[in-house]
Amino acid sequence: MDASEVEFLAEKETVKIIPNFSLDKIYLIGGDLGPFNPGLPVDVPVWLALNLKQRQKCRIVPPAWMDVDKLEEMRDLERKEDTFTPVPSPYYMELTKLLLNLVMCLCSASDNIPKADEIRTLVKDIWDTRIAKLRLSADSFISQLEAHAKLDNLTLMEINTIRVFLLDSLNCLYKLRSNQHPGSSKGQFADF
Amino acid sequence: MFITDIRKEFYEVVANQRVALLVASDIDALCACKIIQALFHCDQVQYTLIPVTAWQDLGTAFLEHKEQFKYFVLINCGANVDLLEMLQPDDDSVFFICDTHRPVDVVNVYNDSQIKLLIKQDDDLGVPSYDDIFRDEEDEEGADSGNESEDGSEPSGKRRRFDEGAIERRIDRQRAKREWETRRREILFDYEQYEYHGTSAAVMFFELAWVLTKDTKDMLWWAIIGLTDQWVHDKITHMKYVTDIATMQRHVSRHNHRNEDEENSLSIDCMRISFEYDLRLTLYQHWSLYESIYNSCYTTCHFKLWTLNGQKKLQEFLADMGLPLKQVRQKFNSMDMTIKENLRDVIEESSNKYGMKDIRIQTFGVHFGFKNRFLAVDMVHATAALLESTEKDESNSDNFIKALDSLSRSNLERLHSGIDLAKKKLMAIQQTVASCICTNLILSQGPFLYCYLMEGTPDVKLFSRPMALTLLCKYLLKAFVSSTRNKRCKLLPLIMAAPKDLEKGTVIVLGIPPESETSDKKNFFGRAFEKAAESTSSRTLHDNFDTSIIELKTEDRSKFLDALITLLS
Repeated sequence: MDASEVEFLAEKETVKIIPNFSLDKIYLIGGDLGPFNPGLPVDVPVWLALNLKQRQKCRIVPPAWMDVDKLEEMRDLERKEDTFTPVPSPYYMELTKLLLNLVMCLCSASDNIPKADEIRTLVKDIWDTRIAKLRLSADSFISQLEAHAKLDNLTLMEINTIRVFLLDSLNCLYKLRSNQHPGSSKGQFADF
Repeated sequence: MFITDIRKEFYEVVANQRVALLVASDIDALCACKIIQALFHCDQVQYTLIPVTAWQDLGTAFLEHKEQFKYFVLINCGANVDLLEMLQPDDDSVFFICDTHRPVDVVNVYNDSQIKLLIKQDDDLGVPSYDDIFRDEEDEEGADSGNESEDGSEPSGKRRRFDEGAIERRIDRQRAKREWETRRREILFDYEQYEYHGTSAAVMFFELAWVLTKDTKDMLWWAIIGLTDQWVHDKITHMKYVTDIATMQRHVSRHNHRNEDEENSLSIDCMRISFEYDLRLTLYQHWSLYESIYNSCYTTCHFKLWTLNGQKKLQEFLADMGLPLKQVRQKFNSMDMTIKENLRDVIEESSNKYGMKDIRIQTFGVHFGFKNRFLAVDMVHATAALLESTEKDESNSDNFIKALDSLSRSNLERLHSGIDLAKKKLMAIQQTVASCICTNLILSQGPFLYCYLMEGTPDVKLFSRPMALTLLCKYLLKAFVSSTRNKRCKLLPLIMAAPKDLEKGTVIVLGIPPESETSDKKNFFGRAFEKAAESTSSRTLHDNFDTSIIELKTEDRSKFLDALITLLS
């Protein structure tokens, strides 16, 4: 899976917007999207919100978790705990990038997400801490030759960053180990 | 006809249709094109973008597309000729013309159905009134025939008197008609004699975006670049430039004011436009200060940097400001912070001592991210260099698309490559000017000055393009005026010729008005070239949208010049 595919999946999340046009309810294959009235907030998927924003037809309301104080708390909690803490949103990294970059490109000040730079820094801090924990746990998994591990609260993007490397390295280790014990039963498994 | 409400009569008409955008090849047109493209994207209007370089191009493009489109938007082309006669369109094609070329052809002004001009009517146009130019022929004939029938029915006794009366009336009418026609010719001659430029097309389209409340900072920046292009290529007077800058300044403060409400306003990556009273040293922030002073027209002409004396004066000037040579030859970004802080004021003070009163000019700068600062003048030079780049295997439309891309904020490498090309172009111009002055290539031909660039001159390929040649011409005239002692020559206009196409054996000829403080930038060479070409039957191509730039066969050069001399003296 590619990072861009994960971003594509992230665009299905809903976000609140305030349109400046009016349109009746539209019936799409994925679901209905409520009637649009100027000035009234409505929930739409992120892909539609981005398209409307680029055409200057709506204002995006940042999600509740995209706030400096809340993110600071989450970052401190993440640093204290050894395991992964619950995330603000399963696609927090992608949404941050999409919403904040879009605001940067268009720069219409009235619907700026306030303190975008600080939010970006805080989200990156949280991401770095989590990836460090992931690396640490993968390392201990391999060195202690565990058979299985359980990690809670990982998001798809984080899994995606480590997936290819972890699987390939586990396969290599398996090949090396099975070559050390040539007659063992494990040799009957298919060679990668 | 002129459009009064640009939203209702232009935008709402084309919003639901497919439109063909025919865009001329200059920076103002490119900026206007970006603005209208952004508006079309917002409203999902289908359009086709067709770059055109000259009248023949426009004609071919029109023939190709006339079946598919009813609405054509022409940017910076088409206002100064009788468009309907040239293109012969169908009766239901509508042309929206936003053009800075003046004078607007009278047929375009008075055509009510097919031609709509997106031009402000108070833009100093001086269009002759309808009755002075057009006249209904029917009334006269009706009166004539009425009189004749009366004559026939009258008894013979009174016939002679009535005949005389009728004949006298007819003679009077014919005389009045002749007088009217001579007056008409005079009025049209005065009206069409001088060519000049009006308000920038990019500014017009920005005002459309503003009326639609869809204006963004990007569009404002493009409008500023379009206006600065008119100033850099000397198309508008200084007064007009200052007035238009004031208008743009109002828009800039409006946009900036929106951000001042929140305390931690914008992300560092957001675009910030600011009004700058900055130095007239071209590209100085992307070059070293020394190179910029050496290659900018203003400083070169004042110091006369093609002479040894001038170079000594430049060293004195730098010493007077207390700038060490090592610092000044460094890339500007790597100069010491202490020097950079007060640089503008220090330079202004010193330049006043050396006689350069206007070293600073009002302009705008943009700033996004930590690294990216550009002045409007820098962008104009970079995009112009990309648009007219003479690399092999690059067609005109490739260059057009590259230049158009460089105006977006996401294509910074293209912009930087444009800046590099612009530096090379400026250095080439500087060297050519120095060699022309030192070898006295500028000859006074009586009513004008004349300079011909030989084929072997270095970088002569660069000057086969109209905008680069215009810049060279302007710099050369300023340098000549500052270096000559002949008072009469200082008031003469300049005609310049450079080889254009070696295979076809043609040269490009252009003329610019004389250099003066209060010049109104009105150029009479368009008509002069036409008449000279006719009288000597030289093989010329009056293809460019600016009538003062033509292509001429090299062999006809001397007889063409002689005709011009006789015409203008």
